[in-house]
Amino acid sequence: MNFRFPPHGRLCAALLAGALGLAAVPPLCAAPVKGGTISVATVGEPPTLDPMASTADLVGILSQHIFETLYTFDANWNVTPLLADKLPQISEDGKVYTIALRQGVTFHDGSAMDSADVVASLKRWLAMASRGKQTAPLVAGIDAVDAHTVRLTLKEPYAPLTALLAMNNGAAVILPTEKIAPTLAEFVGTGPYQLKARMPDQYIQLTRFEGYKSRDGEPDGYGGARRQYLDEIRFVPVSNANTRVESAVAGQFDYVDSLPVESLAKLKNGRSDPVILKPFGWPRLVLNTKQGIMSNLAVRQAVQLALNEEDMLYAGFGDKQFYKLNGDLYPEGYPWATQLGGKVYNKGDVAAAKKLADSANLQDRTIRILTSQQYEFHYKMALVAAEYLKAAGFKVDMQVVDWATLTQRRQDPALWDIFITHSPFLPEPALIDFPSRDTPGWWDTPRRNTALKAFNQASSPQERVKLWAEVQKAVYDEVPFIKVGDFNAQAARSPSLQGVVPAPWPYFWNAWKRSDK
Amino acid sequence: MLRYLLNRLVGLAAVMFIVATIVFVIIRVTPGDPAAVMLGPQASQQDVADLRARLGLDQPLPVQYAVWLGQLARGDLGRSIFLDKPVLSALADRAEPTLWLTLMSLAIASAIALPVGILSAVKRGTVLDQSVLTFSMFTSSVPSFWLGLLLMQLFSVKLGWLPVAGYGGPDASFATRLSHLVLPAVVLGLVNSALVTRFIRASMLDVLRDDYVRTARAKGLTERRVILKHAVRNALIPILTVLGLTTALLISGAVVTETVFGLPGVGSLVVSAVLRRDYPVIQGALLVIAAIYVLINLCIDLLYLAVDPRVRY
Repeated sequence: MNFRFPPHGRLCAALLAGALGLAAVPPLCAAPVKGGTISVATVGEPPTLDPMASTADLVGILSQHIFETLYTFDANWNVTPLLADKLPQISEDGKVYTIALRQGVTFHDGSAMDSADVVASLKRWLAMASRGKQTAPLVAGIDAVDAHTVRLTLKEPYAPLTALLAMNNGAAVILPTEKIAPTLAEFVGTGPYQLKARMPDQYIQLTRFEGYKSRDGEPDGYGGARRQYLDEIRFVPVSNANTRVESAVAGQFDYVDSLPVESLAKLKNGRSDPVILKPFGWPRLVLNTKQGIMSNLAVRQAVQLALNEEDMLYAGFGDKQFYKLNGDLYPEGYPWATQLGGKVYNKGDVAAAKKLADSANLQDRTIRILTSQQYEFHYKMALVAAEYLKAAGFKVDMQVVDWATLTQRRQDPALWDIFITHSPFLPEPALIDFPSRDTPGWWDTPRRNTALKAFNQASSPQERVKLWAEVQKAVYDEVPFIKVGDFNAQAARSPSLQGVVPAPWPYFWNAWKRSDK
Repeated sequence: MLRYLLNRLVGLAAVMFIVATIVFVIIRVTPGDPAAVMLGPQASQQDVADLRARLGLDQPLPVQYAVWLGQLARGDLGRSIFLDKPVLSALADRAEPTLWLTLMSLAIASAIALPVGILSAVKRGTVLDQSVLTFSMFTSSVPSFWLGLLLMQLFSVKLGWLPVAGYGGPDASFATRLSHLVLPAVVLGLVNSALVTRFIRASMLDVLRDDYVRTARAKGLTERRVILKHAVRNALIPILTVLGLTTALLISGAVVTETVFGLPGVGSLVVSAVLRRDYPVIQGALLVIAAIYVLINLCIDLLYLAVDPRVRY
């Protein structure tokens, strides 16, 4: 389902009305109108509104309306300029990025954005943001060439840089120099909406920033023009998933994010329309390559052979509308889709798995699976995985904990063998946490290092896609994690809310409220 | 009397100290890390360690405990890690919906329990009495979240009379805010009315057997006068106790109900603090809740003086 609306609503309406011989204009083609307030039900209260300080999706969803980055992603997930005037000029050796800035951009406090703000913001990002710290060892320097040009110099080529600068969580947002502090006291950005009030666990109120300077042209994913039709956006935390479903059915909110997939039938009979983002993300089993039973490659490969991903997806999502069996790390529609099909995927071959595990001469065949019921599908998939592993001769110690406990325990390699997590499809592979040697799983082998280094240093997009396929092959051979498949996400919107494009981090610039009068 | 009050206040301080210690130990031995939750899934171990150090969570537990006791001695409950504001101020922000919810639920519970409990005792053994007992058994055993979802389904989804969740936006009128409280108040009122009804019935049954009731009837007083003037007044002490306990429970946070209805009250603050491992908020909130509990009990004890002249401290 796609709710992308043409910019020329009136023309569309006239054509449709003419073609169909209708006097009334169908609401689908209604012209955008300025004004109105929307309420958006979110999954909870964000831990912070500082997008540099957290990589939580919720922080990105909210703060992307307030703050902007130099680059962002277009509808095809290519990097496109936002506060930068155009894509960076990159030197022949791939080490020097010259970034021209848009002129006339102002912050919510009225001050003009210039290169000093960008330099100070990027320095803060490199020092404190997780994604910035990932980049910092490669950065030789950042300096202002003139009032509207910034130069970023690298120690070695690093192709994912622009994608890292474009991401909306752990984000390299541009802040006014005088507001920069380790902990932000004021949330002042250049975004189309500004923070008016925040009552934790009650609402976050954003109002239109009248001094906003949009890019020219048409909207294009997160890029292109950002039109401010709405006067106000209110984010209301509703942490209970059942309550979010009921509020969507009752039509209390204009948009309700993150709804359980089993509520689709109920939504169809309610006062909101379902919004399905297809595909949204990928669940995965992360294997502890550092310590314990999973540090043995043969055991990891035995687990990979034993699992039946189709059964796991069915248990997790229950309806084929919401999942797809796909062993590739990216689905179709992304530049990174490799169509390798997964070398060892969805086998469910417990006999072969048992044979492989036998060859490892294990003293103890216990596998500790760390999972949480906070994400119901994690738990259900873990239950199915456990049965296949038992059939392959393993003992399974299922450790079901709350999410906060899981995020702490997974940091200690002595406490687990497999944990289950998921993430949205991120626009650039370097944004995913698994390639990092420092994240739980601790995949660190010569093959991984060689494949990733080549991928990160290649400059041409075509070459990078080919090299990404090599990384993926290394993943299938060394099994640092096992992708379960693709899954879709569901939200709901009021019929009067128009112009909302299904997106992993929903945004409400370019959205408007249809007058039902 | 003064001596009694002083003794109770000393007791309060002792209770606070015990609660502070138990809460501190329990939440520190519970796995989970506020720094990891705050930084998000992509944060590295080093980032988490850095934030832990900044928050003082890398200090040995006895040091953290001593720091916290020192803060308490100065009347400072600490600062919320997530909300970045003093715990006391976070609690004050949440007090309004919880207080209104408490008052409304208590009014509903009392409006149901007082007449029904008295009538059930007076009509003991009849169909009415049996029906009351069955109904109160049912409402006390129904999970509040289930009842909440059921009422939500009927009044918000089907009929569209009342909002499902939240507490209204920044410009919500007082009436709008109250409309958000109606369903949760009905849920809590119904659930709590069961216990109060049974207490009232039991207390009334005791009193109705007493000599002075028989004497009142022998004097030729009307049954209505016997019940309302003589029996109910003497049955009030246990009723006050249970109403006091119910009030304390409601103020201390109707955790499940507030979460189901997305009400930003004290109960939902405690739940989110636990999920986020916001240690200062959990500690501070539980301490304040314990204090309220003890103080309400003290108030109830003092109220006994007003309703029963035989009581002396």
